[in-house]
Amino acid sequence: MRIIKKNAMFYMMMIPIVVYFAMFAYYPLVKGIQTSFQDYKLMGERPYIGLDNYDLVIHDPSFWDALWNTLYIGGGILIIGFIAPLLIALSLNEVMKSWFKKTAQMLLYVPHLLSWVVIGGIFIFLLSPDTGLVNMLLVNIFGMNPINFMADESWARSIMIGSAVWKDMGYNCILFLAGIAAISPSLYEAARMDGATRWQQVRYVTLPQLMSTMKVIFLLNTLGLLRIFDQIFVMRNPAITSKVDVLMMYTFQKGIMEIRFGPAAAASFFVVLFTLLLTVMVRKITRFDEV
Amino acid sequence: MGWKNKLFDCLNVMFLLLLMLTMIVPFINVVALAFSSGMASMQPDIILFPKDFSVEGFTIVWQSLDLWRPFMNSVIVTIAGTFLHVLLSSLAGYVLIQPYLPGKKLMVSFILLTMMIPQDAIMIPLYLVNKDLHLINTLSSLVLSGMVSGFSILLMRNYFMAVPYEMSESAQIDGAGMFRIFATMYIRLAKSGLATITLFEFVSRWNMLSAPVLYINDSSKITLQVALKSMITEASATSSNFLVTTNVRMAGILISIIPLIAIYPFVQKYFMKGLMLGANKE
Repeated sequence: MRIIKKNAMFYMMMIPIVVYFAMFAYYPLVKGIQTSFQDYKLMGERPYIGLDNYDLVIHDPSFWDALWNTLYIGGGILIIGFIAPLLIALSLNEVMKSWFKKTAQMLLYVPHLLSWVVIGGIFIFLLSPDTGLVNMLLVNIFGMNPINFMADESWARSIMIGSAVWKDMGYNCILFLAGIAAISPSLYEAARMDGATRWQQVRYVTLPQLMSTMKVIFLLNTLGLLRIFDQIFVMRNPAITSKVDVLMMYTFQKGIMEIRFGPAAAASFFVVLFTLLLTVMVRKITRFDEV
Repeated sequence: MGWKNKLFDCLNVMFLLLLMLTMIVPFINVVALAFSSGMASMQPDIILFPKDFSVEGFTIVWQSLDLWRPFMNSVIVTIAGTFLHVLLSSLAGYVLIQPYLPGKKLMVSFILLTMMIPQDAIMIPLYLVNKDLHLINTLSSLVLSGMVSGFSILLMRNYFMAVPYEMSESAQIDGAGMFRIFATMYIRLAKSGLATITLFEFVSRWNMLSAPVLYINDSSKITLQVALKSMITEASATSSNFLVTTNVRMAGILISIIPLIAIYPFVQKYFMKGLMLGANKE
């Protein structure tokens, strides 16, 4: 009892945090699961209807479209967004002049700091068919016809992947560089003594030593795969919705736009399930726990 | 051997320069358009310098389109939210470094578990919770969203752990209370930790989009990002609206970037260190 009294201050400090998490993390999670089994209306009765909401979602073709789009776009971002910054980090690491290295890092990092509204907005303008910079270049320098990138279904997903990779490239690159910086210089020294070329040093020292960093980054990026929302919300337009609307967009539309909370909650439950599944899979594949 | 190396270095630097150009050119384009006149900004042309220089884009977006109101809302939400987030996270971090605290393990797992709950997957029930609490259409809902996070708590705990506990013990013997030790000693010694989460939180709150989209539909309470979003996407659909010319939209984008550019020097100092800490800790 005396210990508790002595520590009363600490428990008091913890109260707001515990209350906050209970109300805004645990309770919504439980409520979400509960809602997914209910015919949830804002007013009046909310009868339990078993698995009807799940049934509805599973038989909704646009849910499967959304899932496929998520896997396509998210997978693209995951893979290209992993390889591109890795290459850039390796390439930056070969540059000797540190002012150049620092400037490059600084510049590449900027888009990560900006919101998707800003980045999406810039992309929409750059790619616009009549005044966008990209089309101006295509028309004036290469003599091509302008392409309406943002309204073309065949371009839609590539643009989403490309812009997401472009935005987060600098951020992931810095993580890779931190991993490279942590490699012991004596390994390179030994490799040089054995007459290893620069390429061989990258192949046999840097890459194997970077393995654990690579696994961490890959795992972290996998967790983000199903969470794509802001980007699509900003960059979608009626012409391409069927190609780019992802799971979170589907949930948002069902819940907030159509005010059908039950099916929306059921769909979000699938998101949780897929996230768990993906995490387990990636952990297995990368043997993350063995690092 | 020698010339091969030189050639490689050359190509390598060219590749990086090209990459940097893809970062710089769009921004130069934005700045140039923002400072052009409305007519000039709508012409199909490669614009890398202001054409027909004018600041009308800024005056229109700020005054005629009332961007100052969402801007102020964003400022309020960002400052209040960041302050509370930093305060609560550091308090919790401080509690978690106490060596003889019954129930500490329970608290740690309670906090760790919240990090496993995907925030976006509870979007719908969170909306319902806010609705039940009558927080819809209030700025408080935005301050409350993400008011404390497991990540920040753990980060602060790590910084506090670097402070030797003996110091706090000797201060206790000298008669300093727990709270005073926290405020005068730990906060001061863990400055870089505080700076890190402050910046993290500042940036993510300034850029916050899904929460205001969900919780706010009263046009006097929307935040900058939401106002900007509707300006960008809706205006491109109805280009007949003569007010929203390209220079106006670009001016809006620039205004929203300014606070982030202002803190960028600090970001470089602390943020990146924090990123690495976060990534290596997993």
